[in-house]
Amino acid sequence: MKLERAAIDAISIGARPLLAVEELTVGYPVDGGGMIRPVDGLSLAVRRGEIVGLVGDAGSGKSTAALAMLGLARRPGRILSGRVHFAGRDLLEMSADELRNIRGREIGIIVQNPRSALNPMLRIGRQIGLAYRAHNRATDEETRQRALEMLRMVGINDPERRVEAYAHELSGGMAQRALIAIALSSRPKLLIADEPTSGLDVTIQAQFLDEMWQTVQATGSAVLLVTQELGIVANYCDRVLVLHDGRVVEDALVEQFFEAPQHAYSQAVLRLHRERRLTFGATFPPRNGTPMVEVRGLIKTFPVRNSAKVVQAVDRVTLTIRPGETLGLVGESGSGKTTVGRCLLRLLQPDGGAISFEGADILAFGDADMRRQRAKLQIVLQDPFDSLNPRWTIRKILTEPLNLHTRQSRADKARRAAELMQLVGLDPALLERRPRGLGAGALQRVNIARALACNPSFIVLDEPTSVLSPQARAGLIELLGRLQKELGISYLFISHDLTSVQYVCHRVAVMYLGQIVEEGSVEEIFRRPRHPYSQALLSAHLFPDPSHRRVDNPVAPALQGEIPSPIDLPVGCYLASRCPYANAACRAAPQRLEPCADGRVVRCHRVVAGEIPVPERIEE
Amino acid sequence: MATVDVDTETASAARPRRRVDALFVLGLAIVVVVAILAVIGPWIGAYDPTLTTPDVSAPPPSLTELPGLMSTWLAGGPAPHFLGTDTSGFDIFSRLMAAPRTDLVIALSANGLSLVFGLLLGLLAGYFRNFVTELLMRVSDVLQSFPVFISAMVLVALAGRSTANIVIALAFVYTPIYIRLTRAEVLNQKNRGFIEAARALGNRELTIALRHVLPNSLAPALIQSSVTIGFAILLTAGLSFVGAGVRPPTPEWGLMIASGANEIILGEWWSSVFPGIAISITVFGFAVLGDALERRNEA
Repeated sequence: MKLERAAIDAISIGARPLLAVEELTVGYPVDGGGMIRPVDGLSLAVRRGEIVGLVGDAGSGKSTAALAMLGLARRPGRILSGRVHFAGRDLLEMSADELRNIRGREIGIIVQNPRSALNPMLRIGRQIGLAYRAHNRATDEETRQRALEMLRMVGINDPERRVEAYAHELSGGMAQRALIAIALSSRPKLLIADEPTSGLDVTIQAQFLDEMWQTVQATGSAVLLVTQELGIVANYCDRVLVLHDGRVVEDALVEQFFEAPQHAYSQAVLRLHRERRLTFGATFPPRNGTPMVEVRGLIKTFPVRNSAKVVQAVDRVTLTIRPGETLGLVGESGSGKTTVGRCLLRLLQPDGGAISFEGADILAFGDADMRRQRAKLQIVLQDPFDSLNPRWTIRKILTEPLNLHTRQSRADKARRAAELMQLVGLDPALLERRPRGLGAGALQRVNIARALACNPSFIVLDEPTSVLSPQARAGLIELLGRLQKELGISYLFISHDLTSVQYVCHRVAVMYLGQIVEEGSVEEIFRRPRHPYSQALLSAHLFPDPSHRRVDNPVAPALQGEIPSPIDLPVGCYLASRCPYANAACRAAPQRLEPCADGRVVRCHRVVAGEIPVPERIEE
Repeated sequence: MATVDVDTETASAARPRRRVDALFVLGLAIVVVVAILAVIGPWIGAYDPTLTTPDVSAPPPSLTELPGLMSTWLAGGPAPHFLGTDTSGFDIFSRLMAAPRTDLVIALSANGLSLVFGLLLGLLAGYFRNFVTELLMRVSDVLQSFPVFISAMVLVALAGRSTANIVIALAFVYTPIYIRLTRAEVLNQKNRGFIEAARALGNRELTIALRHVLPNSLAPALIQSSVTIGFAILLTAGLSFVGAGVRPPTPEWGLMIASGANEIILGEWWSSVFPGIAISITVFGFAVLGDALERRNEA
């Protein structure tokens, strides 16, 4: 495979690139005259058969650049200058009609947020048909056949039925694939994909990118992939362009980029991966002693509207977290991991089970006692933009917990606020500012500072890194480690980002449909996942390591079919309908969590019996 | 340790230029003029707006007569009736200028009352959803299903014709709008992360509702205020027109229209048309301002 790629490179070096952007500049007028230029003198080239990753921090102009390459700019922005040569012609010189002909037929585009990009009033088949007919003459029947063919190609099961579906009837992954089908219906020579997999679960993300990669290999088209995810870059891209302040500051083959990043931004983003590479878990051991948090048989159900049925969100979850330890809780969306975190803090009232915190049964507490207890039990939420009161200054936000739980003087509180800012690596001068205008990384640090205000001993971190840029994410992971080391706090780290989990956690519990299916040390689970679901999850995860590219070591898709509805769960093992190892016994009886010889627990009788092979995930 | 990335989006520091909104400026100008009249209006006209003059049913002077009348006035003679007088001999210009005080005071107080009640009840209805608050919403649905004019007229008729009762009646008919608007915004806000964070910090529910939810849920109701004040002026005038509003000889646009309504057919158009224009411009100003504020809030 690598040789083939080298061959393609060799052939295309002589040839003209498919897309050549020169000195492209996009400007937005600002208050008081003048222009800001999110894209400022951008030059790049994409060759046939190549997947090029366009990476860069938030605000580096990636999305604006992607649109500008089609001759488009969001109002009131304008393309000020530059040339976009595509197949030998300058797109920016073309008339609107000519450009429209090129868009969609020669260049396809996929944008973020598939749902909002699909028309909710039209059936999927018709939307694909419209895109196709915009550039091709076809009868109704031909158009329908084409739509079916496209849906089949992007891997949608049962295309005859889906072609009649509306956007809201599709899952996020299917909506995204329908969008791909629209973009590819006229077989464009170039596909511009702007964060095409943001918001998708890892298993679907991997499926989609695999398909995209295969399409490129089969048709010789090219892809410009705008992304922030280093995992995607490492696994699928041939070349990496780093965008900073609206221009390309680094252009490297993917191995080079990860081996020897040149620009300061690239180095900052990759530092954590380069330092830690194949190490697992937090860099220091947890303390021994009585458990900080013990959860036994936690159950949480939600009623279904207009029905007597319930959603089984959390099903007899048992967890133990020791002082100074980080337990990772991983699983796809809908697995119930967030609900577990909420229940632990009684932000949701569990329907059953026991939770003890430092030996005290917190479910037995009255409201007033529980409120007092909250000084010690904290949470950091997923979306930093949403979790701070937009009308309050940072000072007021950080003083709120002190007002609730302490009787400090004004001067003491001011001192503590400044101390907290320093603790999380922020400038105390920011105390007088409001959240608006601060970046996600800084806001998430404010969130952490607020959680730390009353010296908690346990913090639930609910996807704290998921909306951060890779640079901010790496910084936050380091911060969390340092705080744990200095303050001895225990964390429950809820995340679907296995790369973060790999560096932060001591132990990991894998959840599927409200149940824990496997629990053990990070190293054990990441190196030798035993449960079929853990295996699937880890094989779908894109580790930022170009020496083990997914496309070079193809893995058979481990799970087929759709996740069962949490309203009508099967009798036996919940994974049985998707599991390649399932047999009659799996479908007949519910599975119990049972300890394995190596100290971890697994919910699968075939694993316990040693009947399921364990892949060596990461070779050294 | 070195401090980190503060403004990841440096671009956001320089905000995109906001288009100058002509309608916003126009609406604001009208509202400001009306507000100024509410303060100094009664002293603008040459005549006392509550006293009759000997000239009855005098038409407004034509532009050619005006210089002569002005010089008579400056020489110490009687002041001209710029917009004529009505059948009772009231000077229309003086009353027109004085009326905003009556109308605006009623409209502002009514709006203020309904705003306060609407915000609080809307907050409770949105934040604590239980049997009581659902009942409150159904009651407000029923109230909203009556035409506001009929409800207000009936209330004033039952309670008696006084300024205070008009204010209360108007406040009553407008409160459900504010309840509904605020409740909808509260339902949005209460699922936001900082509300959950406030709960996780150990705040009481009532504290969260008042300190976190309410301040972030004010915008829709405050924007609606501008529109409501406009309509309240219209409704005040309407009540006076049908005889359920303020008592004559209080200067009030609705009363002025009513007093001239019978004479229009006789060609005495001026006593109704000028207050009619004044109401139209005022309501237009408040409505346009409300719209422009809403657009700004969304932007």
